[in-house]
Parts: sequence; structure tokens; C-alpha cells
Amino acid sequence: MIKAVHLSKHFGNVKAVDDVSLHIHKGEVVCIIGPSGSGKSTLIRCLHGLEVPDSGELYVNDKLVDFSKDTTKDLAHIGFVFQLFNLFPHKTVLENLTLGPVKAGGVPQKQAEETAIKLLTRVGLAEKANDYPASLSGGQKQRVAIARALCQSPEVILFDEPTSALDPEMIGEVLNVMKELADEGMTLAVVTHEMGFARKVADRVIFVDGGKIVEEGTPDQIFDAPQSDRLKLFLSQVIHM
Amino acid sequence: MSAFERIFTPENMQFMVKGAGYSLLVAICALAGGSVLGLLAAMARMGKNKIARAIANVYVEVIRGTPMMLQILLLYLGGPVITRTLFHYVFTPNPILVGTIAIAINSGAYSTELFRSAIQSVDKGQWEAAKTIGLTHKQTLREIILPQAFKRILPPYINEFIVLIKDSSLLSTIGAAELLQRADVLGAKFYNYLLPLLFATVAYLVMTLTISYFARRLERRLAESD
Ligand SMILES: Nc1ncnc2c1ncn2[C@@H]1O[C@H](COP(=O)(O)OP(=O)(O)O)[C@@H](O)[C@H]1O
Ligand SMILES: [Mg+2]
Repeated sequence: MIKAVHLSKHFGNVKAVDDVSLHIHKGEVVCIIGPSGSGKSTLIRCLHGLEVPDSGELYVNDKLVDFSKDTTKDLAHIGFVFQLFNLFPHKTVLENLTLGPVKAGGVPQKQAEETAIKLLTRVGLAEKANDYPASLSGGQKQRVAIARALCQSPEVILFDEPTSALDPEMIGEVLNVMKELADEGMTLAVVTHEMGFARKVADRVIFVDGGKIVEEGTPDQIFDAPQSDRLKLFLSQVIHM
Repeated sequence: MSAFERIFTPENMQFMVKGAGYSLLVAICALAGGSVLGLLAAMARMGKNKIARAIANVYVEVIRGTPMMLQILLLYLGGPVITRTLFHYVFTPNPILVGTIAIAINSGAYSTELFRSAIQSVDKGQWEAAKTIGLTHKQTLREIILPQAFKRILPPYINEFIVLIKDSSLLSTIGAAELLQRADVLGAKFYNYLLPLLFATVAYLVMTLTISYFARRLERRLAESD
């Protein structure tokens, strides 16, 4: 579905992503973990052209993405959920959802609204359709952001630390929505610090450090039988609960 | 008959009020024209095209670095010389029209920075979110960025409107029939400049104070919706 080959991206002399190859298959849930500053965000942002890689190739459904041109259309069926939601504050929840399908997808307004209401119902927020984002809690904002991504009829949704900006009591509601998507067979790639979620929901866990994939495997392999010292160290730091 | 009665006849009052109307009209048209120019120049300054960026930079620097009076005279007195020399086309420019264009060009240079800083103050995440839902650059500007920038721009923008009402008085020097020029005409006619000028003072104040009153109310309304 999404295949990255020898992807690299540096900022100044920082190699944020260093020769990473990665294949996300249809229906798969991939969690990307690693210490802060290890390049997780840059990697997942490259998969949606939010960062343009310096070198390497990105294939979506075996089609090479041409970064020298505007990639918006090529990547239209990839959803993205941001840490800070990035909802449009001057638009209602419903408008946030319908804007993409109507303006970019050419879907009739009425049909887009019906779909949007369905998706809002799915994330439990149908009654908020006509509210503005400012009136929502963090957890609700992120669920709206997920519904907005779903409106793209995405083949895969990318998440960059979707729960890191949330108060602890709201993390669960967002993770539950994501777990439901996974159960329904949606392809997900999730940068996360929620090790519990990664262990339960992921098919594959990728450990990134220093811009490189250091280790990857099933949750059992990664969490119960880590091979590299760096992963062992990382796990000992995050799982002291 | 006192000077007051001689000067403030119904006809003369109408003459002055009409002048105030022209001043307002000049300011509105210059603001609109200046907004278009300012927005274009702001886009050019933020864009990738080097030539467009250079043109926008020269525009802003030249206009901001020279007196507005000079710009008005250059366009009004210099414009016909250029068309005569280049195209053998002789014409007498309409002072209100040419003056308004000159003020619009001037205003555009000042609003360029206004637009640019307002557009850049919108969170980068808004551009990114728009990209992930498939919006083009133009759609993102129109649907997402400009509406949010507009809110930030409103107070300085209304201030610019007030400045333009005052600046429109410069057109009196090229004989445009706006408020100050008409006060001048009446003053010459009745050998009394004080009363017509005081009338103009009150008329300018009525316009500027009314606008700032409504601006403050609008600002408060917008602040509530945050
Ligand atoms: N826009 C940027 N400009 C400069 N440096 C950046 C930028 N984005 C990320 N970096 C740097 O790249 C490295 C990886 O960052 P990031 O991908 O955000 O890591 P993570 O998401 O794992 O915390 C860090 O050293 C960070 O400082
Ligand atoms: Mg990050």
C-alpha cells in the first residue's frame, strides 16, 4: 500500500530520517515507537508529503510519488491525524468534515454532509455537528479530526502522536476509536507513546532511533524479547509503570 | 447678514456634504484597490517566483520611501506626458479618478505588510491539514487561511480606512472636488476661510469617529466568537 525505499531527510546537519525503508501492507496496523527526537514525526510526515524527502522513493499502491510536483492529488486517499488536531477553527465540525470531499473530491454538498454525519456518529459526536471546534474538549477534537480523515475515504490513515496533547482522561476515548478502526480492517500507521495500545492493537511495531529503524517485529517480539540494547534501554525507560 | 448666514446656505451646505461624499468614495475605492494590490504583492513576496518577489519588493520600497503627494503629482501631471511621448495620446486626466488610483497604489504598498504578517500568523498546521484533505494552494488560501487572517487584519485595516479618508484631502491640490477642496473654494468665494474649514473639520471628524465607533463594536463581536 505505502512503500518507502531508502528515505532520507535532514534539517541542517541533523539526519532526522536516515535511509529508512518501510512497507505498510493493506489492513495492517503498524505502530512506530522511539525516543523523542528520533525522527518518528519526520518519517510519518514524509509519507504524506508534509516533508519532502531529500532522497529515496515513496510508492503509493506501487505508483511512484513525484515530489518535484504538487503531491496533494496523489496522496488524497491517505488520511493524516495530527498531534494538535489542526481543525479549522472558523468552520463548524460538519464543515471541517465536508470541506475536503466537496472542494477537492467534487462530492455534492448534500451527499458529503450525509457521509460526514455517519462518520461523526461513528466517533460518537453526531450531536456536535454544528458546533465550532473551540467548544470541544481535546478528546472530542481529536475524534473529529479522525472523522475528517475518514471523510477522505482513506486507504490508510497516518497518526502522529494522536494522544500526546490530551489530558489523561481523554486518551482512552481516542484510542478506542482507533482500535475500532483497526478491528474494521482499516490500515493504520501510528506514531505513539502508548505502549499498551501498540501491544494490543499493532500487527507490527517499529522501533526508531537516530533516524533509523533499529528493530521491528510483532508486539510480542518487540516488548517481550527486545534484541538491541537501545530498544531494551528505551523500554526500560517508558515501561516503569 | 452675518458671515455665518452668508456661507452656510442650503446650497453651500449641499456643496460641502457632496464633497465629503467624494472624500468617502475616494477612500473606499482606494481601500478596495489597495487591498487587491496589497494581497497580490503579499502573495508575491511570500511566493517562490523570484521575479514576482523582486517586483513586489521594489513596489513596496519605492512607495513607502517617497511622499504620497509626489506620487499623486507624478501620476496626475506625469501620466499625460508619458502617454503623449509614447503613444501620441493627449488627454486631460480626471483628478478624482487619477487621484484615487494614486492613493490606491500607495495604500497597497502599506497593506502588503499587513496582509503578509496576518497570513503568516496563521498556524502552519492549518496549511498541513488542508493539504491532507486534498485542498490546492488556492483553495487553502481562500477557504482556510484568508478567513483566519482577516480577523487579525481587521483592526489595522479599519485604521487604514481612516487614514485614507484623511489622505484623500491631498487630492485638493490637483483640483479634485472633495471636501477640503470645496472648503477652499467657498473660502475664496466669500473671503472667509475659517468657517468652511471648520465645517470640513467637523465633517472629517464625523466620518472618522463614526467608523472607529463601529470598528470597536465589530472587534468586540469578533472577540466573543473566539
Ligand atoms: N522543521 C524542522 N526544522 C529543523 N529541525 C527539525 C525539524 N523537524 C524536526 N527536526 C529535527 O529532526 C529530528 C527529528 O525530529 P522529529 O521527527 O520531530 O522526532 P520525533 O517525532 O521522533 O520526536 C530532531 O532532531 C528535530 O530537532
Ligand atoms: Mg514527534
